[in-house]
Amino acid sequence: MFLAPEDAEIEIANSAAKFLARAIPLERLHGAGASPALSTAVRAECGTMGWFGLVLPEARGGSGLTAVEHALFYREVGRHCGPVDILAQGLAAMVTDDARLRAALLAGDASVALAVEDESALRLLGSPDATLALSVARDGARLLDVSMIEAAARPSLDPATGMRAIVRGTPRIVAVSSNGGVWSLGQLGVAAMQVGVAERALDLIVEYAKIRETFGRKIGTYQAVRHACADMALRAEAARCQVWSAAAAMKEGRSDAHVHLDAAKHLADRAAVGNADVDIQLHGGIGVSEEHHAHLLLKHSLLLARVFGTKRTLLARLLHAELEV
Amino acid sequence: MDLRYSEEDEEFRARARAWLTAHVPGSPRPPRGRAAADFDRAWQRKLYEHGWAGIAWPAEYGGRGLSAFQQVIWYEELARAQAPHHINTTYVALMHAGPTLIARGTDEQKAHHLPRILSGESIWCQGFSEPNAGSDLASLTTRGVVDDTHVVVTGTKTWTTDAQHADFQELLVRTDPASHRHHGLTWLICDMRAPGIEIRPITTMLLDEHVNTVFYDEVRIPRASVVGGIGDGWSTALATLAFERGTGFIGDQLELYERVRRAIGLAKQVRLEDGRLAIEHDDIALRLASLKADTMAIRAMTLTSIAETDRTGVPGPKGSLMKLMVTSTHKALSEVVGDMLGWEFVEFDGDRAAHPWTYDFLWSWVYTIAGGTSEIQREITADRLLGLPRAR
Repeated sequence: MFLAPEDAEIEIANSAAKFLARAIPLERLHGAGASPALSTAVRAECGTMGWFGLVLPEARGGSGLTAVEHALFYREVGRHCGPVDILAQGLAAMVTDDARLRAALLAGDASVALAVEDESALRLLGSPDATLALSVARDGARLLDVSMIEAAARPSLDPATGMRAIVRGTPRIVAVSSNGGVWSLGQLGVAAMQVGVAERALDLIVEYAKIRETFGRKIGTYQAVRHACADMALRAEAARCQVWSAAAAMKEGRSDAHVHLDAAKHLADRAAVGNADVDIQLHGGIGVSEEHHAHLLLKHSLLLARVFGTKRTLLARLLHAELEV
Repeated sequence: MDLRYSEEDEEFRARARAWLTAHVPGSPRPPRGRAAADFDRAWQRKLYEHGWAGIAWPAEYGGRGLSAFQQVIWYEELARAQAPHHINTTYVALMHAGPTLIARGTDEQKAHHLPRILSGESIWCQGFSEPNAGSDLASLTTRGVVDDTHVVVTGTKTWTTDAQHADFQELLVRTDPASHRHHGLTWLICDMRAPGIEIRPITTMLLDEHVNTVFYDEVRIPRASVVGGIGDGWSTALATLAFERGTGFIGDQLELYERVRRAIGLAKQVRLEDGRLAIEHDDIALRLASLKADTMAIRAMTLTSIAETDRTGVPGPKGSLMKLMVTSTHKALSEVVGDMLGWEFVEFDGDRAAHPWTYDFLWSWVYTIAGGTSEIQREITADRLLGLPRAR
């Protein structure tokens, strides 16, 4: 029993943090050249560093690590509003049995969007040029070829996530998996990203509260600011610890892992959206400017709250779910 | 990172569960007064006689010296068995006075008091807060005049839980009249039967008298009852922090998870004004489900806090977050049940057994105020966890 990162796990998280801060800093999402795309160069570098194959068994070309390292990595991705493509691509490598395709996915030579279906449309989230898309349900996943399909760009609130909708035609199914673990890892990954968003929002306002002055005092001395920051810390802490619980439960194959995952996603969505909201408010005017990072966190959190379980579906499941022991 | 208990831990769990199944009292705790205190003493005595007292205390002081995780298991099993709640008349003695004596007491103090605390023979109360020193404890003014043999205490303490049942009190007084704030304070063992002490009960909004104001008129306390040295009281008062290791709320957490489950069960039985079951109303169902997630998070926070403390060797500054989480969840649960119960919720005459949900709702404010208000917990978080500049 040890519900916190251990040395080897911390090392992986640190290495991810260092790489991501350089490869996908939030600055990429500001200004004229801003793009939601995961660039070819960064995708290839992710491949070289093995980020797409973290949980894939070594025999299939992965690193054979666990849900714990997966959660630690995506928390770091979330801190930078990292593209959902990274997650889609890693999950896609679990779905295909085609060794050549898998190798291309792991190396970052192929590109995968996250496909989300609702009654009105099949949406593709991620880089506009992705040729594959992964559609994930609780009972399995399908890898789709969208290279020949006509898809129209949709306006996306979130600058970190491109959005297209398929206009005509049915994508060819490249691979099908009935492995429910794909959904679980997807849900865990998104929950971890939301924890990253929540923590980044807290970091931004704490840093600002230490230097910004009003009425001749640092704003961090005002209880109106301090107490709101403490509440942000609580939301982030609750979500973070529950994500650890879910990751460990998954790693150990516990029968109630899905309950921990649903709770983790719900708490993480709440922490990310809630903290992003307060981060903007406490920054004051600068918080609503495009040039500041604050709005990026809010917009990304709203996007992530819509994939791998929404508030209503998560809570409806949790209401009747039972834990082990 | 893992959630697996060791074989040894699982064996401990099995033993605890078996013992509790056989020994948990069949009759409920009397709601108040001397009968409640006697019930608590009897339960503690039973724990002591069967070797379950002082789970977290070092073995050399009569405890079990168990690991933090075994403490967690013990509290989990107490909640599962619906055993008497550990926050009862024995709480201050076991969770605060005892650990303080272990950390700072003299050999004589330890030898006399610790066995009596473990066996439930001695009930303790806390004498820290004053009418003009609550959140700002360091502004306390109760005076202790030190002479060759005694500390002579004059002043007033308040919000003293169970003073009327207590044998001893942990009493924090100002022994250096020229001192300010946390300097010049002394931590004393006060015999509650000493001449010059008057206890006046305070009726609370729960319509009970669990708290009191205590008046001291030249109460003579032997110098042998000073714990941690004259003038060193502030440090003595803080000495138990290291002892608690973030597990203080695990009992409450598990109780809360069980209470959420009970509330969900209730929602499947009670009908609202429109004749539909409470659970069929989205606003009730979603709040209950969200509270279930919150109680899961509280357990995770506890386990993470123990692990992080193991890693660093010192408890982190996250106890305040834990208290905020537990107390706000407790209140939110009471509120949603209040929305379900309609008129039944406002039929209350102070009878805890007959109206447990209303009683717990009113208890919410004891939770969010006692032991450092929610506002103080946010201040501590802002200072120690976030490093924000101080205004005080």
